[in-house]
This record gives sequence, structure tokens and C-alpha cells, in this order.
Amino acid sequence: MIMHFKRQWSVYLWYLVIFVGLIITILPFWWGVAASFKSNSDIFRDLAPINIRAFLPGFSLESYFAIFENDFGRSMLNTFFVSITSVAGGLIINSMAGFAFAQFRFKGDNIIFGFVLLSFAVPADAIAIPLFKMMRQIGWFDTFYALIIPMLANGLIIFLYRQFFLGIPKELIEAARVDGLSWFGVFWRICLPLSVPVTLGAGLLLFVFQWESYLWPLIAAPSPELHLIQVTLGRFSTEYEMIWNQQFAASSIAGFLPLVFIYMFQKQFVSALTGVEQK
Amino acid sequence: MVPYLFLAPALVGTIAFKLYPIFIGFWESLIYTSFSGGAEKRIFVWFENYQYLFDDKIFWKSLEITAFLTIIINPLQIAMSLGLALLLMRKSKFIRVIRSLYLLPIGIALPIATIIWGLMLDPNQGLINGLIGVFGIPPQPFLVSENQALWCIIAIATWKGVAFWMLFLLAGLEDIPKQYYEAAEIDGATPFQKFRYVTIPQLKRTILFVFVADTAANFVLMVPMIILTKGGPLQSTNVLIYEGYRSGFYYQDWGRSLSIITILTVITLIVIGLQLLFLSEKNEGIKVK
Repeated sequence: MIMHFKRQWSVYLWYLVIFVGLIITILPFWWGVAASFKSNSDIFRDLAPINIRAFLPGFSLESYFAIFENDFGRSMLNTFFVSITSVAGGLIINSMAGFAFAQFRFKGDNIIFGFVLLSFAVPADAIAIPLFKMMRQIGWFDTFYALIIPMLANGLIIFLYRQFFLGIPKELIEAARVDGLSWFGVFWRICLPLSVPVTLGAGLLLFVFQWESYLWPLIAAPSPELHLIQVTLGRFSTEYEMIWNQQFAASSIAGFLPLVFIYMFQKQFVSALTGVEQK
Repeated sequence: MVPYLFLAPALVGTIAFKLYPIFIGFWESLIYTSFSGGAEKRIFVWFENYQYLFDDKIFWKSLEITAFLTIIINPLQIAMSLGLALLLMRKSKFIRVIRSLYLLPIGIALPIATIIWGLMLDPNQGLINGLIGVFGIPPQPFLVSENQALWCIIAIATWKGVAFWMLFLLAGLEDIPKQYYEAAEIDGATPFQKFRYVTIPQLKRTILFVFVADTAANFVLMVPMIILTKGGPLQSTNVLIYEGYRSGFYYQDWGRSLSIITILTVITLIVIGLQLLFLSEKNEGIKVK
């Protein structure tokens, strides 16, 4: 009887901790989305003094119209363009490199692979400032080149493809070679079509990296015509400091797409990130 | 020849844009740029930029804050991620939904999280002050207070980070064979003993990876500083990476900026090296009983 009660008690405690944790996790998100559908004065009215209406969504689209008048659409288009080209380019060059590491033994392969892993360990923000100087020297500063090209090669994605390609049976590739297929043909017609799960995960990672990047686009492309979504968002928070509903609306839109993608492909995303196959 | 052709584009990209900038950073840190008479003049000054830093109070303060932040934020995030991962291993009807909801901050970019938390922590109209007011706690200054700002940034980064690192730990936990726990149970192990002698040794590699990666990530944490505090108030959130950023982009003092970045890179490598050295050695010492 006492044992039973004890077990019940631990279950309740578990639910309580989980519940409190969930509130903390969701609260900023919930509040932000709810407030994005309010007028600015309504947001402040609901907060001082605080009442339950602060957590109920409003019905106004005013803030959403306003941000698109403030060039938010432009930065969304820019971000789409940069993300899509980065995903396409990144998938091609990194899968090619992964293929090379998986299929061939060549001079210096271990050393080169070591460098690739090392590059993956260097945090992007630490090299942003020297990279910025380099962009100025080669004339890519403040262009789309600076936003896209340095972000293409990615050690993590190379690693993911290498692991996957290592699992493709050698006989399959040998048979294709005997049939006269070139190495590029083997890569393009046999290995890539098999790699859909990796490609989904890797593509999603590349997309999220670009969509969420802030520091690099902030310093590498300061012209307003080249602003990406996070940069515009950061600018809103200083320029429209008191216009909370627009900040919420912009944040909601910027956060929406990666969230949808991550939830749609949660399995592939987690596998790609952690390297553990999800059941 | 063929393998090199496949490798070339990614390799060129990696070397040119990931590894070479580290060397440029170091090289440029040895150069002083003067703007006398409107003309830019570059002088090679060996380690003079570093020498100046040595006598620079702002730099030392910044180093101190970075050290403090590193010591607090990394163990905190790892402990919370591990705790959460363990909580989410429990069987429940709703576990899938609960897990998914906890992943939410992963999809929210740091600038977004920063902006929303910034508004929540607003001293005058923020949600948090409203909520704690219900419990009779007086309004707090949060980000505008010298004593609280860094803690607020720790909270924001932790809110965003815990879910992410938890993902790795959860994957690691799921990888531990169930038989180990069953065997421990047959031997009469308490839940704590199971945690100590099965979970921890089995999870060691994942924890080490998460600890190292988290440390590296937090050394360059500066989005909340750029958007919210600008290193203030009174330099209380002025970590090294932000000081480096500010020297370059606000004051055009690239020599100083890149000296700081180089120092930070060296510190990062040393700390990560030490972590790998000490923690992975222990790994061999502990045996599953």
C-alpha cells in the first residue's frame, strides 16, 4: 500500500516538473505569438497590471501589415534566396566530398579528413571578423557572394555523407563500373539517389544554419537591400524599440518556417544532428 | 586524380573560408593601421597590439567576465540538459508530445529568442516583472542592472541551449542497451546506483562531446550582447568576443580586435584540450560493475 502510494507520488512529481519546464519553454513563444496579433497599446494594457488577457491572442493583423511596409518582405526574399542556394550548393559539394572519402583511398586522405573535422570544430563566429577582412580584400564584401559561398563547405555535412556512403555495398558500385559507368555516374545515378534520408537531414541543417545566421550577414552585407531576416529583426528591436507588436510579428514569421520544417522532418533532423538513427 | 576532383570544391571552401581566416586573424593582429591624413597606413608591429592589451583594464575585465560566464553557463547547461533528458526517458502516454514541445527552442533562432526575452525582461512593462509582482516580488531591473544583466543573458542562452544539447544526450541514453539496466536490477541496484554505474559510464562519450561543443559555442556567445546590452551596463556583459567585435566594428581598431579574437581562440583551444585530456582519461578508469 505504501509502496503504491510512493510510486504514485513520484509520477505526480514527474508530471509537475515536466509541466513547469514546459511552461518555461513555451511561455516566451506563446506570449510572443499572442501579442503579435494585438495593437501596441493593447499589449501594454494587458501587462500593467498583468492579467490573463496577456496570454490570449488578439485579432489584429495591423503589426503584420506594418512590418511588410518596413521592408520585411525584402529581407524574407533575400533569406529564401540565400538559404535555397546554400542548401543546393552545400548538398552538392559536401556530398561529393563525402563520396570521395568513402569510396577512395588516396594520398593524404586521413590528413585531409582530419582537417575537415577540425574545420567543423571551429565556431563560425570566431572566424567571422577575419573572414570579413578577407571579403573586403577579394571584393565580395556587401554582396550575395559573401553571404553564400563561405557557408557552403561544411565538415558536418561531409561527415554525414561519408558515413552514409560507407554503407553502400561495394558490389553495387563495382557492378556499375564494370557496366561502364563513370565515377561521376556512380555518384550521381547510384549513390545520390540512395541517400534521400541523409540529404533530407543535411539539407534541413544547412537551411536552418542559413535561416538563423545573424552575425555573419550583419557584418558581411550591411546594405539594407541585402539584409537577411535575422538582421532585419535585430534592427527592428533597436529602431522600433517601443513598437512591440511589430517585433513580435517579425519574430513570429521568422521563427515559423524553421519550426515547421524541423517538426515535419524531426526524425531526419535529429538523426543528422546526433548521428543516431531514430526509431 | 578522380578522388581529388570530387573533393576539390568542398576542400577549397573549407581551407579558404574556415581554416585560412584563422591565420589571417593572427597575421592581422600583428599589424597596426593608422589613418593619419586620411590615408590608411599599415605597419607591422609584431606583438605590440598584445602588449597594449596587457595594460588594458577593459580587456582584463572582459577576460574576467568571460571566465565567470564559462564557469557558470557550461556546467549549468549540461546539468539541466542531462536532467531533462533523464526526465524525458520516462514512459508516459504523452511522452512523444512532451518531447516535441521541449524541442521548440531549437527551432527559434537566437536573435528571436533574444528579442522576445528582452521584451519579457523589460523593467517597466515586461511580462516577468508582471508575473513576479503577482507573488509580491518588487519589479527587478534585469538587463539594465550591472548585477543582473549577465544572469539574464545566461538565462536566455540556457533557454535556447538546453533543448539542443538535450537532444544529443537523449539520443545517447536511448542507445544504452536495456539489458544493462535489467542486469543491474537483478543485482539489486538502487536507481542512483543504476545512474552512477550504468548511465554515466555509458553516456560518458556523449557528455564529453556535448560539454566540449557547448563550451566552444558559449565562448562566442554574443548575439544577446549585440541586440540587448551592448556589453553593458558598466561592461558587465562585455565578454571577450563582444569586446573584439566592438573594437573592430565600432572603433575600427582591427589590430586590437584581432588580437582579442586570437587570444580567445587560443583560450578556447586550451580549455577544450584540457576537457578532452582529463575527461576522456577518466573514461577508461570507470568500469561497469
